[in-house]
Amino acid sequence: MKNKRNIGLFILFVALFACVPLIFDPETNYLVYFLFMVFSYLALAQSWNLVAGYTGQISLGIHAFFGFGAYIIAIGWREGLIGYLDPIGMFLSGLGPAVLAIAIGIPLLSKLRGDYFALGTLGLGEILRTIFIQGGAFTGGSAGLMMPSSAYISMAPYYYIALLLAVFATAVTYLMVHSTVGWALIAVRDDETAAAANGINVLMYKVLAFAVGAFMAGLCGSLQAYYLFHIHPQNFFGLNWTLYPILMCIMGGSGTLMGPVIGVLFLTAVFELAKIWLPEIHPIISGALIIAAILFLPEGFTRIKLFGSFRRKRA
Amino acid sequence: MKVKRIFTFSGLVFLVLAMCLMSFGPVAAADKKEIVIGTHLSLTGMLAMSGTEQKWSYEQAVADINKAGGILVKEYGRKLPVRLVVADDESDPGKAAAAVENLIKLQKVDLILSGHSTPLTIPSMVTSEKYKKYYHGTTCLIPVWAEQQFKWSTMFFIDMPSFPDAAYNVINSLPEKVERPALLMEDTLDGRGLGGVLRGGAEKFGYKLAVDEPWAVGSKDYSSQILKLKAKRVDAVLIFGSAADTVTFLRQMKESNANVKYFHGYKGTWTAEFIDATGKDGQYVMCDGFWSETYPYPGAKELGARFTKDYNKQSVSVGLFYATAQILFEAIERAGSLDSAKVRDAVVNNEFKATVMGDVKYGPDGSAGFQIGTFQWWDGRQKLAYPFLEGAWKTKIMPPWDKR
Repeated sequence: MKNKRNIGLFILFVALFACVPLIFDPETNYLVYFLFMVFSYLALAQSWNLVAGYTGQISLGIHAFFGFGAYIIAIGWREGLIGYLDPIGMFLSGLGPAVLAIAIGIPLLSKLRGDYFALGTLGLGEILRTIFIQGGAFTGGSAGLMMPSSAYISMAPYYYIALLLAVFATAVTYLMVHSTVGWALIAVRDDETAAAANGINVLMYKVLAFAVGAFMAGLCGSLQAYYLFHIHPQNFFGLNWTLYPILMCIMGGSGTLMGPVIGVLFLTAVFELAKIWLPEIHPIISGALIIAAILFLPEGFTRIKLFGSFRRKRA
Repeated sequence: MKVKRIFTFSGLVFLVLAMCLMSFGPVAAADKKEIVIGTHLSLTGMLAMSGTEQKWSYEQAVADINKAGGILVKEYGRKLPVRLVVADDESDPGKAAAAVENLIKLQKVDLILSGHSTPLTIPSMVTSEKYKKYYHGTTCLIPVWAEQQFKWSTMFFIDMPSFPDAAYNVINSLPEKVERPALLMEDTLDGRGLGGVLRGGAEKFGYKLAVDEPWAVGSKDYSSQILKLKAKRVDAVLIFGSAADTVTFLRQMKESNANVKYFHGYKGTWTAEFIDATGKDGQYVMCDGFWSETYPYPGAKELGARFTKDYNKQSVSVGLFYATAQILFEAIERAGSLDSAKVRDAVVNNEFKATVMGDVKYGPDGSAGFQIGTFQWWDGRQKLAYPFLEGAWKTKIMPPWDKR
């Protein structure tokens, strides 16, 4: 019953969000852009949540897959293989990073755990950034690639695609977690040796989560590429694309479905308000708020109840 | 439970506040009481230092026009004061585009004044193209801008054909002949663009480059480049890089006792950060500059004095940003409207007289160029060495490190 009610609420919220561009003009209203960014970050945060929150593998390589997805779109468009907001192109921009994640994930996940795996994925982002900077005319080098901005028609399609990505990422996470795959992932996170002893193919499940996360990050990169029309290696392989989703996930509560949703809404709103009111010192305000929230809510917003009862037990 | 309440409440407040703010509608034309000019500046991040000077310049220009009663806008039949709205682009191309979205949709600006540097202005101009909002641009390389065929922006920046003159004419004026110059350009959009022009300039002025190679941003070890300079007996260096990178390079040159007669840095060496970090080692180093308070243009000297009063240092950039704002204000008055298309039309193919950058003439493509200046650091001040104005500074040869 509870699950049915939650699914009903989820559908209702999605329907409400789908109405936003019908009420507010997407070309003049900032709310549409704000929500576009919220949905994009939500998809990224869920991609990390699946790998780190449910499988326990802290990945610091979201930006690698995000940037790779963006470059697939830009190069494909330049070569005439991919069009504007092309669904096949977007699928390929997810598939490419997923294949890369499998290729990289097998050696990394079979040998490395915890901090070492995190550093390995961080290295992947740096390697890709350097490859794309040194890629000459094919990748546009340090200048990156430009796409024709005259193709832009309206903000509405971007909004709906971002909403779709957020729904897709949340639904995939939900379905994976509520299936035998999800139980296996949680078992691997909680005790890898015990999971292996119970017949779970640990490496396969880790790689699967890593690849699905990369697929979602690649999709987000492609949407951002279509939005900016300028794929710059320093921007698209920037660490912010990894750190922000992680922060959002942790603040909301990683390893929960609603955690990233709450974290993304809260942090995006805080960042925006700080930028509007205090443009010169907004990083200080945002940083102080994050520190306060982490200090008082180390388990994230969604686990406030658990945290409270834990404190009571200790007392 | 108290903590829970506080966070739940504050979270909700933030969210509701943000959503309310973002759903504001545009101000009706009849209510127009001011002209709102938006700009995205690098208030934080790597380019924050340039952002500070740019912000100061725009604020001065706005204060000056408001002191004169504002801008006469025929459409409204009266003079309107100007309000500047600044959004932080965090020195990040993605954030620059987001800042322009914010300015257009949330702050409801009438027109946009430029941010700084090619990688930041390009995505911002793409965003202004989307919403057909006029972007009055500067500090984006004109060929890169022209390639995009933007319809809602104009560009006022370095005149590329005459760009190498500022270096090679100074080299030619040195008391000792330079024979083996080297070109070391940062591997970025700006570095590549300017590298091509300086390469062509070397050929035009009859120089053969002894070393010509790109260098990576943020490298910590330049020994391979410095060894090449020594091996090829390079006697002049033209280098394009950030202040931090150029400081490292210069220090490593000193440690390796690599001597040249002429060291001309672009992008990084004009900043106070450079001279603060290098101290006496920065003496004799040449730098580029968009402007000088010694230029014989109306208001230049006063603007320089105002900046020195506020910051206790010189600037070689504030004049460019001040003039960019001056041109926009005059274009609004000429257009008699705040309509983006009309204001742009008032800029394209038109001339603007007596700015702090002199007379500025825009071509039919919407671009206007100016001659970049060359300065030499001397006792912590930048001395204008080029253009060769009357009474200009005579550039001195850089002595070997062990004879200083």
